[in-house]
Amino acid sequence: MISAEGLTKYYGPIPAIQGVSFHVDQGEIVGFLGPNGAGKTTTMRILTGYMPATSGVAKIAGFDVSKDPIEVKRRVGYLPENVPLYPEMLVSAFLRFVAEVKGVERRNIPGEIDRVVERCGLIEVKQRLVKNLSKGFRQRLGLAQALIGSPPVLILDEPTVGLDPRQIIDIRNMIKGLAEEHTIMLSSHILPEVAMICQRVMIIHHGRLVVEDTMERLGGEGEVRLLELEAMGATARIRELLAGIDGVQDVSVNGEQDRYVIRTDAAKDPREMIIQALVQAGIPVAGLHERRRTLEDVFVEVVSQEESQVVADAGEEDSV
Amino acid sequence: MSGMWAVCKREFSSYFVTPIGYVIIGVYSLITGLGFLASFLYYARISQSPAAFDYSSIPSLEETMLSPFLVFCGQILIFLAPLITMRLLAEEKNRGTMELMLTYPLRDRDIIFGKYLAALGMALIMMLVVGVYMAIVAVFATVEPAVLLFGMLTVFLMGAALISLGLMISALTSNQVTSGVLTFGLVFIMYVISALARDLSPDNPAPANWGEGIRDAIGFIYTIFRTILVELSIDAHARDMAQGIVQPEDIAYYVLFAAFFIFATFRVLESRKWRAIS
Repeated sequence: MISAEGLTKYYGPIPAIQGVSFHVDQGEIVGFLGPNGAGKTTTMRILTGYMPATSGVAKIAGFDVSKDPIEVKRRVGYLPENVPLYPEMLVSAFLRFVAEVKGVERRNIPGEIDRVVERCGLIEVKQRLVKNLSKGFRQRLGLAQALIGSPPVLILDEPTVGLDPRQIIDIRNMIKGLAEEHTIMLSSHILPEVAMICQRVMIIHHGRLVVEDTMERLGGEGEVRLLELEAMGATARIRELLAGIDGVQDVSVNGEQDRYVIRTDAAKDPREMIIQALVQAGIPVAGLHERRRTLEDVFVEVVSQEESQVVADAGEEDSV
Repeated sequence: MSGMWAVCKREFSSYFVTPIGYVIIGVYSLITGLGFLASFLYYARISQSPAAFDYSSIPSLEETMLSPFLVFCGQILIFLAPLITMRLLAEEKNRGTMELMLTYPLRDRDIIFGKYLAALGMALIMMLVVGVYMAIVAVFATVEPAVLLFGMLTVFLMGAALISLGLMISALTSNQVTSGVLTFGLVFIMYVISALARDLSPDNPAPANWGEGIRDAIGFIYTIFRTILVELSIDAHARDMAQGIVQPEDIAYYVLFAAFFIFATFRVLESRKWRAIS
């Protein structure tokens, strides 16, 4: 439904994205994840036809964005990042305008407006001015305008940014409900959100797509098992003890005092040995449990790998 | 096509959901109304004692009162048209709604013509305001109806030309004030340059003792140069038309003026496709 091949965009000499390629099948919900400034919005703007790519091909439903922009735009509902709206318009008048612009048949317009208003929970504000809407309602209205005309593809740029936790849950549920009829691509820099909504995740960092995988596989154990340890004692001593245990690959301090994250081989379970070693050394253990890899772990791994890669590359260049 | 009407409708109604439409038309009515009163009184004094104003008999209403008044009505648009056009595209860019417009299934021409027609609607209302004065003239004086209609057309054409320039400048910036001031400045400078150029002698400026070939060449270039400068002003072709003397070149001047700047607006809007930062 959505495909990108080698998308590259330069702002002057600065590359915003480089060689981004991916494919989204019909009916999928795909999360597009990355730190701020990684190139999420740029990619989405290219897909929606707002700006052209410097090179590469983007296709929606088989139509090339640069060659058939109108056909593409008919099939895409887009929620831009800052939810731009016309403040002086009534909510109903704005939706009517959107329906007309999207070429909804005249006699179907009132029904279409009612449909999206109900779907997005805008009934109570239908006759209000857009400028008087709260942030939560603005976001819903932004979603409503994207839904008008039932486009098969929805591209949502940070749909929950700036909302309070309850509103975030509302919007999240709304998006989940839309998944039956639409192919959805949404961007976010909030990991748990993507984990909750999306089946598949793409992580973009410094303008490059670094990971593309399903949630299950990303969340799965992979080759390492993660253990969280809480133990009171000298950090160096604990590290030394842990390093001596078979199967332990790496120990890192988890920010807070006395908390450690231990990476071990997936095949081995050294929990018993860890407890024994620590207790024998007279170090009280407050807790030890296994943790499933969260998206956060994946993300941190990927980003740090990227950075070490960059450092390694730079090192090579220096030595040459 | 339907997209264009939707854009036009939204744009036009936005003049009237905010005070800007009422203010512009109100101020225009007030200024032109005072102008109408003043020129009517002036004409009344002339017709009572033509000799005191160096006229041998009562001068024609069209030439003495109607035409200057209509040109005045058009000239006021130099001040007000920038206020009509300054928001057209600049505001969309500033609010970010341009991102919506450019991702809806609209072609550039739907956006540009939609906006242009909406602003033209304002010029049409202003033309109707002038129509009220023309109706008053028609009641109290015997004037050819065609003269009155062409008078209104003059004002409308001046408006249409000014709006096309304003639209183009509005596409260049995302700041409404920049857009408005730039439009006004450009039109006003063109007006002043034209007024100065009319003082240039139409004769060949080359010294008489130069060779004939060179004299001809310089004269040719000079004539083109002077004509362009004189033609720059938006009211350059209004005077005759406002007297009911309609020549194709006068109408063509305004139509081409508008066409040129609409074309330029297309190019400016297209520039987003190759500019580095949009």
